[in-house]
Amino acid sequence: MKVSCLQENLNKGLGIIGRAVASRTTLPITQNVLITTDQSQLKLAATNLEIAISCWIGAKIENEGSITIPARVLTEFVGSLPSDIISLNLKHHTLELKCGRYEARINGLDAADFPPIPQVGDDFSTKVKAEDLKLAISQVAFAAATEESRPVLTGVQTEFEGSKLTMAAADGFRLAVHRANLIEPVKEKVAMIIPAKAYHELNRLMGNEDQEIEITLNSQKSQVLFKLKGIEMVSQLIQGNFPNYSQLIPQTYGTKARIDVAEFLRAIKMAAIFARDGSGIARVIVTPGATVEAGKITISARADEIGDNIGEIDALVDGEAAKIAFNARYLADVLSVVKQAQVSLEVSTPSNPGVIRPVGTDNYDHVVMPMFVQW
Amino acid sequence: MPIKILPPEVTSKIAAGEVIERPSSVVKELIENSLDAGANEISVEAHNGGISYLRVTDNGCGLSAAEVEIAIRRHATSKITGLEDLEHIRTLGFRGEALPSIASVSEVEILSRDSGSSAASYLHLEGGKVSAREKKSRPQGTTITVRRLFQNFPARLKFLKSASTESGHIATLVGQFALAFPEVKFELVIDGKNSLRTTGDAELRSSVAVVYGLETAKKMLEVEGTDGMLYIQGLASPPSVERSTRSYMSFFVNRRYVRNALLARAVETAYEGLLMTGRHPVAVINIAIPPEETDVNVHPTKLEVKFRNNNTVFTALVRTLRDTLAKSPLPAIRSGVEDASAQTLWGQFPHNAVLPPLRAVGQLSSSYILAEGEDGLYLVDQHAAHERVLFDKILLQRAQKKPEVQGMLEPLAIELSTQQEQAITACGGLLSELGFTLEPFGERTCLVRAVPALLNGNNLNEAIRELLDEIGGEQDTQKRDIKAAQSLACHGAIRAGQTLDSGEMASLVKQLERTSQPRTCPHGRPTMIHLSPQQLKKEFGRTG
Ligand SMILES: Nc1ncnc2c1ncn2[C@@H]1O[C@H](COP(=O)(O)OP(=O)(O)OP(=O)(O)O)[C@@H](O)[C@H]1O
Ligand SMILES: [Mg+2]
Repeated sequence: MKVSCLQENLNKGLGIIGRAVASRTTLPITQNVLITTDQSQLKLAATNLEIAISCWIGAKIENEGSITIPARVLTEFVGSLPSDIISLNLKHHTLELKCGRYEARINGLDAADFPPIPQVGDDFSTKVKAEDLKLAISQVAFAAATEESRPVLTGVQTEFEGSKLTMAAADGFRLAVHRANLIEPVKEKVAMIIPAKAYHELNRLMGNEDQEIEITLNSQKSQVLFKLKGIEMVSQLIQGNFPNYSQLIPQTYGTKARIDVAEFLRAIKMAAIFARDGSGIARVIVTPGATVEAGKITISARADEIGDNIGEIDALVDGEAAKIAFNARYLADVLSVVKQAQVSLEVSTPSNPGVIRPVGTDNYDHVVMPMFVQW
Repeated sequence: MPIKILPPEVTSKIAAGEVIERPSSVVKELIENSLDAGANEISVEAHNGGISYLRVTDNGCGLSAAEVEIAIRRHATSKITGLEDLEHIRTLGFRGEALPSIASVSEVEILSRDSGSSAASYLHLEGGKVSAREKKSRPQGTTITVRRLFQNFPARLKFLKSASTESGHIATLVGQFALAFPEVKFELVIDGKNSLRTTGDAELRSSVAVVYGLETAKKMLEVEGTDGMLYIQGLASPPSVERSTRSYMSFFVNRRYVRNALLARAVETAYEGLLMTGRHPVAVINIAIPPEETDVNVHPTKLEVKFRNNNTVFTALVRTLRDTLAKSPLPAIRSGVEDASAQTLWGQFPHNAVLPPLRAVGQLSSSYILAEGEDGLYLVDQHAAHERVLFDKILLQRAQKKPEVQGMLEPLAIELSTQQEQAITACGGLLSELGFTLEPFGERTCLVRAVPALLNGNNLNEAIRELLDEIGGEQDTQKRDIKAAQSLACHGAIRAGQTLDSGEMASLVKQLERTSQPRTCPHGRPTMIHLSPQQLKKEFGRTG
């Protein structure tokens, strides 16, 4: 292999695939990156066997070839080179790099031993706007479980039907459901569980660029491929059945309050200061307005040794007075990802789940189970 | 005082007391008889902990009318004929003591029919004496019903625990038989509720699934080995499956359930370095050994066994298990070795001493918090420290009857062993005071509807099962409450290896300062070590 490319491009490419390099592993070659010529481009790839990321950079190819090189050494060396043309020259299993007056030789391992980057067929394929996918991921993936005793809950249920994409995640205490539009409708209904971790990675890869993301599934329905501009990410799917979540979304409420998101979040964060040492309990009391007064919500917290706080915000209240306690972190998590200025909070009894929805759109439901406290 | 010969009612009760300690001893003797009779279906029914009612039904060879009369006499047995037979016992019973012992401390009904008889014989015994004789109909096999156990023996009756504890003993026992005899279909009904039912498909793994749960059963590794004289076979857990008690290790010698410290030690030796200290494997070990190499006639309950050659047995078991574990997919070595030299360098202090105000300055190995106090450096074990914080909080919330409870959005179904299921019944009050809402849901499964908030984000399955293991075996309520708090604190606490930000470290140190015993964790291990300025000077050679 003999190729040359710009230091900036190689550096950027290594940064993109870097997150898929295995950190602790029993298969040492997964700590390497695969470098291979692909038509007129240089393809870089890494995999930790859960996800694989490939990216393509412009290069001048003199001789084709491929090799795997330890990711850390290569990334650090390339990162400290000046911005200039780098030439890469493979001699047996040693990659020789030259850039201006700097050069290095790094020992690699045969590319044939690199775990094959899964090839995903086109049994199922659709497209979605990056912007829509990003919003869906940011509103759903955080609600997945981090604890691994129920593997399906560490993933995001992702359903394609007609021209709708629905994502749902739950960790036993809360549930987030987001609906988005597809650019191309799918022929048949398909559902898969994608690891929340893979989605977080995908969100990072999409950046802020305006682009279309192509999603395809392999025929065994075990892997999913996301095609971005110049980048591909393949993720293993989680096998199993995701719980039937739609029945967990309450259909009725006794009290519904419309609240300003920024103020609600501020009050929750203040409560969290006092709730931190305990189990994070924020007590929420909803009071409907009288003829002259506006309705309000008070949010309070207390810790035996520290003290207590209380915050009051205006709200448009429909229904009865209500009180309910939540884990402050759960409320802060959802309020931080809502884009609209207002949310509605629907509750029925202190022991039934509360629902938070952005006002002005019907694409997001967030259900939170309360904490049971003595008032 | 004149010496008197005791009347037979008294001597028979004394002898019975040795064989029959509690309801589960009756069940044990009756099941053994059924197995000796070649039964492959045995069902056990108990009411009120087996104290008011116990029934064992089998489809074994049965007894003729004449044999029934003999069977109830002391030292009547069909299993050995002379002393030389004691050398190679292959049956579970051999003393001819069980039936008469049971009959002398309860009301017994025997209904049995052998293959040669056209009707079943029925005997009713009260105080060991036959009070009714009849002919009845039933298929081949035997049913023995025992009522009002120890009613005529107040000393024993007083010694019994609550009905739910006694039911727990029965459930554990039947579980052990199910593990030892996978080819026999066992059924256990406690207070009208089905508590265990095996398939009798002769697969040990199926029995393990019934007794310890399907998940555990799936992960168990096959154990097999021989050493010329003895043959070892069974199932043992991979290092990823672990329990907080030793009660998940069962040993069967020539299919007899035994308690034997040597065998337990061999298992622990084989797992050395694979499990953290205080953790134990799940294992079902069958040992086949020529009867003359063992002595089971050691104790009236036949629960103990002696080996002629301890060393051979120990070595063979360790080697067989090591071979099994070597083939297991995840031989991650975890060791709990402590650095003894630390003891000399670091200062020690009284357990209850208050802490000076501390300032967290950093984290070491994602496991220890480095903190500065006015009198030098403190190294805080984050897990132990958080355990202490939570432990105090749990006790306080319980005392105030104000548990902090997090509801589950969707109830979580957890598979339980029979012992764990019994623990829920026996400790229902404690569990709800701690903040759990657990509902029975079919056989050996419970639904979790709410949990103590401090468990949020942890493996609930594991936390709940281990909590039940801890409290299930404890009779003393005070000790049980402490154990429950310890177990919860341990599961809720941040783990070693978890990176903390500076706010979290500061908060943890502050909370630790406010606890009752900041310097020790609930298990009594230190939460921190201290290095004074004097020690620092000395170590750097600045004094003198
Ligand atoms: N379920 C049964 N089916 C058939 N025969 C039985 C059954 N139970 C008891 N017997 C007969 O009754 C006899 C006496 O039983 P018992 O349990 O008292 O003594 P054992 O089993 O011989 O010795 P051990 O006291 O050690 O149990 C047995 O030897 C057996 O022949
Ligand atoms: Mg017997």
